Amino acid sequence: MSKSEKLSISRRRVLQMGAVFAGALAVGVAPGQLAEADSNTPKNPNQLGFLHDQQKCIGCRKCSTACKATNKWEEGAKWRRVIASGRPEVFLSISCNHCEKPVCASVCPVKAYKKRDKDGIVIHDKDICVGCKYCLYACPYHAPQYSEDTGRISKCHFCYERQDKGLLPACVEVCPTGALTFGRLADLQKTEGALAQAQWLPAPEITKPSLVVIPK
Amino acid sequence: MEMYWNWLVVTYLFLGGLGAGAYLTSFAAEMGWLGQKSGLKKMGYFIGGPIVGLGTALLVFDLGQGFHKPWLLWRLITNMSSVMTWGTIVLAVFIMVGVLKGYLAFINKPAPRAVTWFGALLATATGAYTGFLVSVIDAIPFWSSNIIPVIFFVSALSTGLSITVLLSHIIEKTESENSREDAVHLGLILAELAAVAVFMGLMVSGANGVVAQKSAALLISGKYAIVFWGIFIGVGLLFPLAVYALRLRTANRTENMTLAAGEMAMTEEEPPKHSYLTIITDAAVLVGGYSLRMMIIFAALPIWDGIKIP
Repeated sequence: MSKSEKLSISRRRVLQMGAVFAGALAVGVAPGQLAEADSNTPKNPNQLGFLHDQQKCIGCRKCSTACKATNKWEEGAKWRRVIASGRPEVFLSISCNHCEKPVCASVCPVKAYKKRDKDGIVIHDKDICVGCKYCLYACPYHAPQYSEDTGRISKCHFCYERQDKGLLPACVEVCPTGALTFGRLADLQKTEGALAQAQWLPAPEITKPSLVVIPK
Repeated sequence: MEMYWNWLVVTYLFLGGLGAGAYLTSFAAEMGWLGQKSGLKKMGYFIGGPIVGLGTALLVFDLGQGFHKPWLLWRLITNMSSVMTWGTIVLAVFIMVGVLKGYLAFINKPAPRAVTWFGALLATATGAYTGFLVSVIDAIPFWSSNIIPVIFFVSALSTGLSITVLLSHIIEKTESENSREDAVHLGLILAELAAVAVFMGLMVSGANGVVAQKSAALLISGKYAIVFWGIFIGVGLLFPLAVYALRLRTANRTENMTLAAGEMAMTEEEPPKHSYLTIITDAAVLVGGYSLRMMIIFAALPIWDGIKIP
Protein backbone atom coordinates (compact mmCIF):
# COMPACT_ATOMS: atom_id res chain seq x y z
CA MET A 1 0.00 0.00 0.00
CA SER A 2 1.49 3.30 -1.01
CA LYS A 3 1.66 6.27 1.24
CA SER A 4 -0.85 8.25 -0.75
CA GLU A 5 -3.28 5.35 -0.68
CA LYS A 6 -2.97 5.16 3.07
CA LEU A 7 -3.60 8.83 3.25
CA SER A 8 -6.66 8.67 1.06
CA ILE A 9 -8.05 5.81 3.10
CA SER A 10 -7.50 7.65 6.32
CA ARG A 11 -9.14 10.65 4.78
CA ARG A 12 -12.09 8.49 3.84
CA ARG A 13 -12.12 7.19 7.42
CA VAL A 14 -12.31 10.74 8.64
CA LEU A 15 -15.22 11.45 6.33
CA GLN A 16 -16.96 8.27 7.43
CA MET A 17 -16.48 9.16 11.05
CA GLY A 18 -17.77 12.60 10.32
CA ALA A 19 -20.85 11.15 8.66
CA VAL A 20 -21.41 8.76 11.56
CA PHE A 21 -21.02 11.64 13.98
CA ALA A 22 -23.42 13.85 12.03
CA GLY A 23 -25.87 10.98 11.83
CA ALA A 24 -25.59 10.32 15.53
CA LEU A 25 -26.13 13.98 16.18
CA ALA A 26 -29.23 14.04 14.01
CA VAL A 27 -30.57 10.90 15.63
CA GLY A 28 -29.70 12.16 19.06
CA VAL A 29 -31.24 15.56 18.53
CA ALA A 30 -34.44 14.50 16.82
CA PRO A 31 -35.91 12.27 19.56
CA GLY A 32 -34.97 14.91 22.12
CA GLN A 33 -36.95 17.49 20.20
CA LEU A 34 -39.82 15.10 19.63
CA ALA A 35 -39.94 14.24 23.31
CA GLU A 36 -40.06 17.92 24.17
CA ALA A 37 -42.72 18.72 21.64
CA ASP A 38 -44.61 15.59 22.58
CA SER A 39 -45.35 16.55 26.15
CA ASN A 40 -44.80 19.34 28.60
CA THR A 41 -44.16 16.81 31.30
CA PRO A 42 -42.38 18.62 34.09
CA LYS A 43 -38.86 17.44 34.88
CA ASN A 44 -39.63 17.61 38.57
CA PRO A 45 -42.68 15.37 39.20
CA ASN A 46 -43.51 17.43 42.29
CA GLN A 47 -43.47 20.75 40.45
CA LEU A 48 -46.42 22.80 41.62
CA GLY A 49 -48.39 24.98 39.26
CA PHE A 50 -51.48 27.15 38.98
CA LEU A 51 -54.58 26.26 36.99
CA HIS A 52 -56.78 29.10 35.82
CA ASP A 53 -60.15 28.14 34.44
CA GLN A 54 -61.33 31.06 32.35
CA GLN A 55 -64.77 29.43 32.04
CA LYS A 56 -65.28 29.71 35.79
CA CYS A 57 -63.58 33.07 36.41
CA ILE A 58 -65.99 35.93 37.03
CA GLY A 59 -63.32 38.61 37.33
CA CYS A 60 -64.07 39.46 40.97
CA ARG A 61 -60.38 40.04 41.70
CA LYS A 62 -60.63 38.44 45.13
CA CYS A 63 -57.44 36.51 44.33
CA SER A 64 -55.32 39.61 43.84
CA THR A 65 -56.89 41.38 46.80
CA ALA A 66 -56.21 38.41 49.06
CA CYS A 67 -52.67 38.17 47.75
CA LYS A 68 -52.09 41.85 48.45
CA ALA A 69 -53.44 41.55 51.99
CA THR A 70 -51.60 38.34 52.80
CA ASN A 71 -48.26 39.21 51.29
CA LYS A 72 -48.28 42.95 52.02
CA TRP A 73 -47.30 44.13 48.53
CA GLU A 74 -44.74 46.87 48.44
CA GLU A 75 -45.94 50.08 46.80
CA GLY A 76 -46.29 49.50 43.05
CA ALA A 77 -45.58 45.75 43.15
CA LYS A 78 -48.51 43.63 41.95
CA TRP A 79 -47.84 39.99 42.62
CA ARG A 80 -51.07 38.77 41.06
CA ARG A 81 -53.00 40.49 38.31
CA VAL A 82 -56.44 39.82 36.87
CA ILE A 83 -56.41 40.84 33.23
CA ALA A 84 -59.64 41.55 31.38
CA SER A 85 -59.72 40.62 27.71
CA GLY A 86 -61.42 42.45 24.86
CA ARG A 87 -64.31 39.98 25.09
CA PRO A 88 -66.90 40.38 27.84
CA GLU A 89 -66.46 38.22 30.92
CA VAL A 90 -63.15 36.72 29.88
CA PHE A 91 -60.34 37.14 32.36
CA LEU A 92 -56.93 35.80 33.19
CA SER A 93 -55.54 35.65 36.70
CA ILE A 94 -51.77 35.47 36.53
CA SER A 95 -48.84 35.74 38.89
CA CYS A 96 -45.45 34.04 38.89
CA ASN A 97 -45.49 30.78 36.94
CA HIS A 98 -42.68 29.18 38.94
CA CYS A 99 -41.08 28.13 35.69
CA GLU A 100 -39.00 25.05 35.07
CA LYS A 101 -36.40 27.34 33.49
CA PRO A 102 -36.68 30.45 35.66
CA VAL A 103 -34.84 33.06 33.59
CA CYS A 104 -35.21 35.52 36.46
CA ALA A 105 -32.91 33.27 38.46
CA SER A 106 -30.41 32.83 35.65
CA VAL A 107 -30.07 36.56 34.92
CA CYS A 108 -30.09 37.75 38.54
CA PRO A 109 -26.50 38.77 39.30
CA VAL A 110 -26.91 38.42 43.08
CA LYS A 111 -28.70 35.05 43.20
CA ALA A 112 -31.78 36.54 44.82
CA TYR A 113 -33.95 33.86 43.18
CA LYS A 114 -33.99 30.26 44.30
CA LYS A 115 -36.02 27.39 42.93
CA ARG A 116 -36.97 24.90 45.62
CA ASP A 117 -36.14 21.27 44.81
CA LYS A 118 -39.09 20.06 46.83
CA ASP A 119 -41.89 21.62 44.76
CA GLY A 120 -40.24 23.87 42.19
CA ILE A 121 -41.45 27.09 43.82
CA VAL A 122 -39.31 30.06 42.77
CA ILE A 123 -38.65 32.28 45.77
CA HIS A 124 -37.15 35.75 45.55
CA ASP A 125 -35.22 37.06 48.51
CA LYS A 126 -35.93 40.76 48.53
CA ASP A 127 -33.42 41.35 51.28
CA ILE A 128 -30.49 40.65 48.98
CA CYS A 129 -31.98 42.12 45.78
CA VAL A 130 -29.91 45.10 44.60
CA GLY A 131 -32.64 46.46 42.33
CA CYS A 132 -30.83 46.16 38.99
CA LYS A 133 -34.14 45.44 37.21
CA TYR A 134 -32.56 42.89 34.84
CA CYS A 135 -35.24 40.32 35.73
CA LEU A 136 -38.00 42.77 34.74
CA TYR A 137 -36.76 42.42 31.16
CA ALA A 138 -36.02 38.71 31.35
CA CYS A 139 -39.39 37.45 32.63
CA PRO A 140 -41.93 37.13 29.79
CA TYR A 141 -44.83 37.19 32.29
CA HIS A 142 -43.96 40.35 34.25
CA ALA A 143 -43.94 38.37 37.47
CA PRO A 144 -41.07 40.24 39.14
CA GLN A 145 -42.35 43.61 40.24
CA TYR A 146 -40.25 46.63 41.10
CA SER A 147 -41.17 49.06 43.82
CA GLU A 148 -39.79 52.58 43.44
CA ASP A 149 -40.62 52.95 47.08
CA THR A 150 -38.24 50.32 48.35
CA GLY A 151 -35.93 50.12 45.31
CA ARG A 152 -36.21 46.38 45.03
CA ILE A 153 -38.05 43.53 43.38
CA SER A 154 -40.62 41.27 44.97
CA LYS A 155 -42.90 38.64 43.51
CA CYS A 156 -45.33 35.77 44.14
CA HIS A 157 -43.77 32.98 46.16
CA PHE A 158 -46.76 30.67 45.95
CA CYS A 159 -47.44 31.37 49.65
CA TYR A 160 -44.73 28.80 50.37
CA GLU A 161 -44.80 29.54 54.08
CA ARG A 162 -48.55 28.91 54.20
CA GLN A 163 -48.10 25.77 52.10
CA ASP A 164 -45.37 24.52 54.41
CA LYS A 165 -47.89 24.86 57.23
CA GLY A 166 -50.49 22.94 55.23
CA LEU A 167 -52.53 26.00 54.22
CA LEU A 168 -53.65 26.90 50.71
CA PRO A 169 -52.15 29.77 48.74
CA ALA A 170 -54.17 32.88 49.70
CA CYS A 171 -55.41 33.47 46.13
CA VAL A 172 -56.67 29.91 45.71
CA GLU A 173 -58.28 29.91 49.13
CA VAL A 174 -60.53 32.89 48.42
CA CYS A 175 -61.52 32.11 44.82
CA PRO A 176 -65.34 31.82 45.06
CA THR A 177 -65.86 29.84 41.85
CA GLY A 178 -62.91 27.49 41.92
CA ALA A 179 -61.50 29.15 38.83
CA LEU A 180 -58.06 29.42 40.38
CA THR A 181 -56.64 26.21 41.71
CA PHE A 182 -53.22 24.73 42.15
CA GLY A 183 -51.57 21.36 42.36
CA ARG A 184 -48.89 19.19 40.90
CA LEU A 185 -48.32 20.48 37.38
CA ALA A 186 -48.32 16.97 35.92
CA ASP A 187 -51.84 16.44 37.32
CA LEU A 188 -53.11 19.88 36.27
CA GLN A 189 -52.02 19.19 32.72
CA LYS A 190 -54.37 16.18 32.61
CA THR A 191 -57.40 18.34 33.42
CA GLU A 192 -60.18 18.21 30.85
CA GLY A 193 -59.95 21.11 28.40
CA ALA A 194 -56.68 22.36 29.80
CA LEU A 195 -54.03 23.95 27.63
CA ALA A 196 -50.49 23.38 28.77
CA GLN A 197 -49.95 26.81 27.32
CA ALA A 198 -52.44 29.33 26.05
CA GLN A 199 -51.20 30.22 22.58
CA TRP A 200 -51.56 33.93 23.18
CA LEU A 201 -49.11 33.88 26.05
CA PRO A 202 -45.36 34.06 25.36
CA ALA A 203 -43.81 30.94 23.82
CA PRO A 204 -43.49 28.38 26.64
CA GLU A 205 -40.02 27.32 25.46
CA ILE A 206 -38.54 30.50 26.90
CA THR A 207 -39.12 29.54 30.53
CA LYS A 208 -41.38 26.44 30.69
CA PRO A 209 -44.01 28.01 32.93
CA SER A 210 -46.03 26.00 35.45
CA LEU A 211 -49.34 27.49 34.42
CA VAL A 212 -52.30 25.66 32.95
CA VAL A 213 -55.21 27.57 31.42
CA ILE A 214 -58.68 26.35 30.51
CA PRO A 215 -59.66 28.84 27.82
CA LYS A 216 -63.09 30.32 27.26
CA MET B 1 -44.71 50.57 27.63
CA GLU B 2 -42.72 50.80 30.78
CA MET B 3 -39.03 51.48 30.55
CA TYR B 4 -37.28 49.99 33.49
CA TRP B 5 -33.81 51.08 32.42
CA ASN B 6 -33.29 54.76 31.84
CA TRP B 7 -30.61 57.20 30.73
CA LEU B 8 -28.22 56.03 33.42
CA VAL B 9 -28.09 52.56 31.89
CA VAL B 10 -27.84 53.99 28.37
CA THR B 11 -24.91 56.14 29.50
CA TYR B 12 -23.33 53.21 31.30
CA LEU B 13 -23.49 50.99 28.22
CA PHE B 14 -22.08 53.83 26.12
CA LEU B 15 -19.22 54.58 28.51
CA GLY B 16 -18.42 50.88 28.87
CA GLY B 17 -17.91 50.64 25.12
CA LEU B 18 -16.16 54.01 24.94
CA GLY B 19 -13.55 53.20 27.59
CA ALA B 20 -12.92 49.76 26.16
CA GLY B 21 -12.58 51.23 22.68
CA ALA B 22 -10.20 53.93 23.90
CA TYR B 23 -7.93 51.33 25.48
CA LEU B 24 -8.00 49.24 22.32
CA THR B 25 -7.20 52.33 20.23
CA SER B 26 -3.98 52.98 22.11
CA PHE B 27 -3.29 49.25 22.12
CA ALA B 28 -3.63 49.19 18.35
CA ALA B 29 -1.43 52.29 18.09
CA GLU B 30 1.21 50.70 20.34
CA MET B 31 1.18 47.57 18.20
CA GLY B 32 1.77 49.75 15.15
CA TRP B 33 -1.56 48.89 13.57
CA LEU B 34 -2.47 52.56 13.24
CA GLY B 35 0.64 53.51 11.31
CA GLN B 36 4.19 54.17 12.49
CA LYS B 37 3.62 57.79 13.43
CA SER B 38 0.41 57.43 15.37
CA GLY B 39 -0.04 59.99 18.12
CA LEU B 40 -2.62 57.82 19.85
CA LYS B 41 -0.27 55.54 21.74
CA LYS B 42 -1.09 56.90 25.18
CA MET B 43 -4.30 58.88 25.46
CA GLY B 44 -6.52 55.81 25.17
CA TYR B 45 -4.66 54.16 28.02
CA PHE B 46 -5.07 57.27 30.18
CA ILE B 47 -8.82 57.40 29.74
CA GLY B 48 -9.87 53.76 29.17
CA GLY B 49 -10.05 52.58 32.80
CA PRO B 50 -11.41 55.87 34.19
CA ILE B 51 -14.20 56.08 31.59
CA VAL B 52 -15.37 52.54 32.35
CA GLY B 53 -15.05 53.38 36.06
CA LEU B 54 -17.26 56.42 35.58
CA GLY B 55 -19.84 54.33 33.74
CA THR B 56 -19.85 51.72 36.49
CA ALA B 57 -20.30 54.43 39.11
CA LEU B 58 -23.32 55.71 37.19
CA LEU B 59 -24.79 52.23 37.24
CA VAL B 60 -24.73 52.26 41.02
CA PHE B 61 -27.11 55.25 40.86
CA ASP B 62 -29.52 53.13 38.86
CA LEU B 63 -29.51 50.24 41.30
CA GLY B 64 -32.45 50.49 43.67
CA GLN B 65 -30.14 49.60 46.53
CA GLY B 66 -27.10 51.57 45.31
CA PHE B 67 -27.30 53.98 48.23
CA HIS B 68 -29.84 52.15 50.37
CA LYS B 69 -27.82 49.09 51.17
CA PRO B 70 -24.59 49.37 49.16
CA TRP B 71 -23.08 46.47 51.09
CA LEU B 72 -25.31 44.17 49.08
CA LEU B 73 -23.39 45.03 45.93
CA TRP B 74 -20.56 42.56 46.56
CA ARG B 75 -23.07 39.87 45.68
CA LEU B 76 -23.10 41.13 42.11
CA ILE B 77 -20.30 38.66 41.42
CA THR B 78 -22.06 35.60 42.82
CA ASN B 79 -24.22 34.21 40.02
CA MET B 80 -21.94 32.77 37.39
CA SER B 81 -24.91 31.99 35.14
CA SER B 82 -25.76 35.70 34.89
CA VAL B 83 -24.21 37.79 32.13
CA MET B 84 -24.39 40.71 34.55
CA THR B 85 -22.16 38.88 37.02
CA TRP B 86 -19.61 38.22 34.29
CA GLY B 87 -19.84 41.85 33.26
CA THR B 88 -19.27 43.05 36.79
CA ILE B 89 -16.14 40.91 37.10
CA VAL B 90 -14.82 41.89 33.67
CA LEU B 91 -15.46 45.59 34.27
CA ALA B 92 -13.92 45.58 37.72
CA VAL B 93 -10.75 43.84 36.54
CA PHE B 94 -10.57 45.98 33.40
CA ILE B 95 -10.81 49.18 35.44
CA MET B 96 -7.88 48.05 37.59
CA VAL B 97 -5.71 46.84 34.72
CA GLY B 98 -6.68 49.84 32.60
CA VAL B 99 -5.73 52.31 35.32
CA LEU B 100 -2.45 50.47 35.94
CA LYS B 101 -1.57 50.52 32.25
CA GLY B 102 -2.60 54.18 32.05
CA TYR B 103 -0.41 55.06 35.01
CA LEU B 104 2.59 53.25 33.54
CA ALA B 105 2.03 55.05 30.23
CA PHE B 106 1.78 58.35 32.11
CA ILE B 107 5.11 57.94 33.90
CA ASN B 108 6.64 56.61 30.67
CA LYS B 109 7.42 53.20 32.07
CA PRO B 110 6.99 50.23 29.79
CA ALA B 111 4.25 47.96 31.04
CA PRO B 112 4.88 44.21 31.10
CA ARG B 113 3.57 42.68 27.89
CA ALA B 114 1.20 40.51 29.91
CA VAL B 115 -0.47 43.58 31.45
CA THR B 116 -0.92 45.30 28.08
CA TRP B 117 -2.38 42.22 26.44
CA PHE B 118 -4.54 41.25 29.42
CA GLY B 119 -5.93 44.78 29.35
CA ALA B 120 -6.72 44.42 25.65
CA LEU B 121 -8.45 41.11 26.28
CA LEU B 122 -10.52 42.62 29.09
CA ALA B 123 -11.34 45.66 26.94
CA THR B 124 -12.60 43.36 24.21
CA ALA B 125 -14.72 41.50 26.75
CA THR B 126 -16.04 44.78 28.16
CA GLY B 127 -17.04 46.07 24.74
CA ALA B 128 -18.81 42.84 23.84
CA TYR B 129 -20.39 42.45 27.29
CA THR B 130 -22.51 45.56 26.90
CA GLY B 131 -24.11 43.82 23.93
CA PHE B 132 -24.43 40.36 25.49
CA LEU B 133 -26.17 41.90 28.49
CA VAL B 134 -29.19 42.55 26.31
CA SER B 135 -28.81 39.88 23.63
CA VAL B 136 -29.41 37.01 26.07
CA ILE B 137 -32.87 38.31 26.97
CA ASP B 138 -35.33 36.17 24.99
CA ALA B 139 -38.37 37.99 26.37
CA ILE B 140 -37.31 41.12 24.45
CA PRO B 141 -37.32 39.97 20.81
CA PHE B 142 -35.57 43.13 19.61
CA TRP B 143 -32.62 42.33 21.88
CA SER B 144 -32.51 38.61 21.33
CA SER B 145 -29.92 38.64 18.54
CA ASN B 146 -26.23 37.86 18.49
CA ILE B 147 -25.70 40.73 16.09
CA ILE B 148 -26.17 43.23 18.92
CA PRO B 149 -22.83 42.39 20.60
CA VAL B 150 -21.17 42.75 17.19
CA ILE B 151 -22.74 46.18 16.61
CA PHE B 152 -21.94 47.33 20.12
CA PHE B 153 -18.36 46.12 19.86
CA VAL B 154 -17.70 47.80 16.52
CA SER B 155 -19.34 50.95 17.84
CA ALA B 156 -17.13 50.69 20.94
CA LEU B 157 -14.01 50.60 18.74
CA SER B 158 -15.28 53.49 16.64
CA THR B 159 -16.28 55.76 19.54
CA GLY B 160 -13.10 54.77 21.40
CA LEU B 161 -10.99 55.80 18.44
CA SER B 162 -12.87 59.09 18.21
CA ILE B 163 -12.55 60.04 21.87
CA THR B 164 -8.85 59.19 21.75
CA VAL B 165 -8.28 61.29 18.63
CA LEU B 166 -10.38 64.09 20.09
CA LEU B 167 -8.54 64.26 23.41
CA SER B 168 -5.13 63.75 21.83
CA HIS B 169 -6.00 66.69 19.65
CA ILE B 170 -7.25 69.00 22.36
CA ILE B 171 -5.02 68.08 25.27
CA GLU B 172 -1.85 66.75 23.72
CA LYS B 173 -2.16 68.92 20.61
CA THR B 174 -0.84 66.15 18.45
CA GLU B 175 -1.30 66.83 14.79
CA SER B 176 -0.50 63.37 13.65
CA GLU B 177 -3.74 62.36 12.08
CA ASN B 178 -2.35 59.91 9.71
CA SER B 179 -4.34 58.45 6.92
CA ARG B 180 -3.96 55.01 8.46
CA GLU B 181 -6.25 56.10 11.32
CA ASP B 182 -8.75 57.45 8.81
CA ALA B 183 -8.64 54.18 6.90
CA VAL B 184 -9.23 52.14 10.05
CA HIS B 185 -12.10 54.36 11.11
CA LEU B 186 -13.60 54.18 7.66
CA GLY B 187 -13.48 50.40 7.88
CA LEU B 188 -15.12 50.43 11.32
CA ILE B 189 -17.95 52.63 10.12
CA LEU B 190 -18.53 50.48 7.05
CA ALA B 191 -18.59 47.39 9.29
CA GLU B 192 -21.05 49.06 11.66
CA LEU B 193 -23.31 50.09 8.79
CA ALA B 194 -23.27 46.55 7.43
CA ALA B 195 -24.02 45.01 10.84
CA VAL B 196 -26.84 47.47 11.48
CA ALA B 197 -28.29 46.76 8.03
CA VAL B 198 -28.28 43.01 8.68
CA PHE B 199 -29.73 43.50 12.17
CA MET B 200 -32.51 45.82 11.08
CA GLY B 201 -33.20 43.65 8.05
CA LEU B 202 -33.66 40.62 10.27
CA MET B 203 -35.88 42.49 12.71
CA VAL B 204 -38.04 43.96 9.95
CA SER B 205 -38.31 40.60 8.18
CA GLY B 206 -40.09 39.13 11.16
CA ALA B 207 -37.39 36.53 11.83
CA ASN B 208 -37.61 37.48 15.51
CA GLY B 209 -41.38 37.79 15.54
CA VAL B 210 -44.01 40.50 15.38
CA VAL B 211 -42.87 42.29 18.51
CA ALA B 212 -39.36 42.72 17.10
CA GLN B 213 -40.94 44.14 13.96
CA LYS B 214 -42.78 46.68 16.10
CA SER B 215 -39.54 47.62 17.86
CA ALA B 216 -37.79 48.04 14.51
CA ALA B 217 -40.68 50.17 13.28
CA LEU B 218 -40.16 52.51 16.23
CA LEU B 219 -36.72 53.22 14.79
CA ILE B 220 -37.54 53.22 11.11
CA SER B 221 -40.78 55.16 11.10
CA GLY B 222 -41.90 55.56 14.70
CA LYS B 223 -41.00 57.83 17.56
CA TYR B 224 -37.26 57.20 17.25
CA ALA B 225 -37.13 57.77 13.49
CA ILE B 226 -35.40 61.14 13.83
CA VAL B 227 -32.84 59.68 16.19
CA PHE B 228 -32.31 56.65 13.95
CA TRP B 229 -32.09 58.27 10.53
CA GLY B 230 -30.95 61.74 11.52
CA ILE B 231 -28.60 61.23 14.42
CA PHE B 232 -27.46 57.62 14.28
CA ILE B 233 -27.27 56.99 10.53
CA GLY B 234 -26.81 60.56 9.28
CA VAL B 235 -24.71 62.35 11.87
CA GLY B 236 -23.11 59.31 13.46
CA LEU B 237 -22.26 57.14 10.46
CA LEU B 238 -22.70 58.73 7.02
CA PHE B 239 -21.18 62.12 7.87
CA PRO B 240 -17.97 60.63 9.35
CA LEU B 241 -17.92 58.11 6.52
CA ALA B 242 -17.88 60.95 4.00
CA VAL B 243 -15.21 62.91 5.89
CA TYR B 244 -12.87 59.92 6.24
CA ALA B 245 -13.40 58.87 2.63
CA LEU B 246 -12.72 62.36 1.29
CA ARG B 247 -9.71 62.85 3.52
CA LEU B 248 -8.27 59.52 2.46
CA ARG B 249 -8.66 60.48 -1.16
CA THR B 250 -6.91 63.80 -0.59
CA ALA B 251 -4.17 62.07 1.37
CA ASN B 252 -3.64 59.57 -1.41
CA ARG B 253 -3.36 62.35 -3.93
CA THR B 254 -0.91 64.30 -1.79
CA GLU B 255 1.11 61.18 -1.27
CA ASN B 256 1.31 60.59 -5.00
CA MET B 257 2.32 64.19 -5.54
CA THR B 258 4.94 64.00 -2.82
CA LEU B 259 6.31 60.87 -4.36
CA ALA B 260 6.46 62.61 -7.69
CA ALA B 261 8.09 65.69 -6.20
CA GLY B 262 10.73 63.54 -4.61
CA GLU B 263 12.40 63.49 -1.24
CA MET B 264 12.34 67.26 -0.80
CA ALA B 265 8.61 67.48 -0.27
CA MET B 266 8.69 64.72 2.38
CA THR B 267 10.22 67.05 4.95
CA GLU B 268 7.51 69.63 4.44
CA GLU B 269 4.88 69.06 7.11
CA GLU B 270 1.32 69.60 6.05
CA PRO B 271 -0.34 72.31 8.16
CA PRO B 272 -3.04 70.96 10.55
CA LYS B 273 -5.96 72.32 8.59
CA HIS B 274 -8.23 69.45 9.55
CA SER B 275 -8.43 70.43 13.19
CA TYR B 276 -12.00 71.68 13.39
CA LEU B 277 -13.28 69.12 10.99
CA THR B 278 -11.66 66.42 13.11
CA ILE B 279 -13.28 67.70 16.27
CA ILE B 280 -16.70 67.87 14.65
CA THR B 281 -16.39 64.48 13.00
CA ASP B 282 -15.24 62.70 16.13
CA ALA B 283 -17.93 64.40 18.18
CA ALA B 284 -20.46 63.18 15.60
CA VAL B 285 -19.20 59.61 16.03
CA LEU B 286 -19.67 59.90 19.79
CA VAL B 287 -23.19 61.29 19.47
CA GLY B 288 -24.05 58.47 17.06
CA GLY B 289 -22.67 55.84 19.43
CA TYR B 290 -24.70 57.24 22.29
CA SER B 291 -27.88 57.33 20.24
CA LEU B 292 -27.37 53.67 19.29
CA ARG B 293 -27.47 52.54 22.96
CA MET B 294 -30.39 54.80 23.64
CA MET B 295 -32.49 53.35 20.79
CA ILE B 296 -31.69 49.73 21.59
CA ILE B 297 -32.64 50.18 25.26
CA PHE B 298 -35.70 52.38 24.72
CA ALA B 299 -37.18 50.42 21.80
CA ALA B 300 -37.24 47.20 23.83
CA LEU B 301 -40.79 45.92 23.62
CA PRO B 302 -41.63 42.85 25.72
CA ILE B 303 -42.72 39.66 23.96
CA TRP B 304 -46.00 40.04 25.88
CA ASP B 305 -47.06 43.32 27.44
CA GLY B 306 -48.68 41.63 30.44
CA ILE B 307 -51.80 43.74 29.97
CA LYS B 308 -53.63 42.32 26.97
CA ILE B 309 -55.17 38.93 26.32
CA PRO B 310 -57.46 38.11 23.41
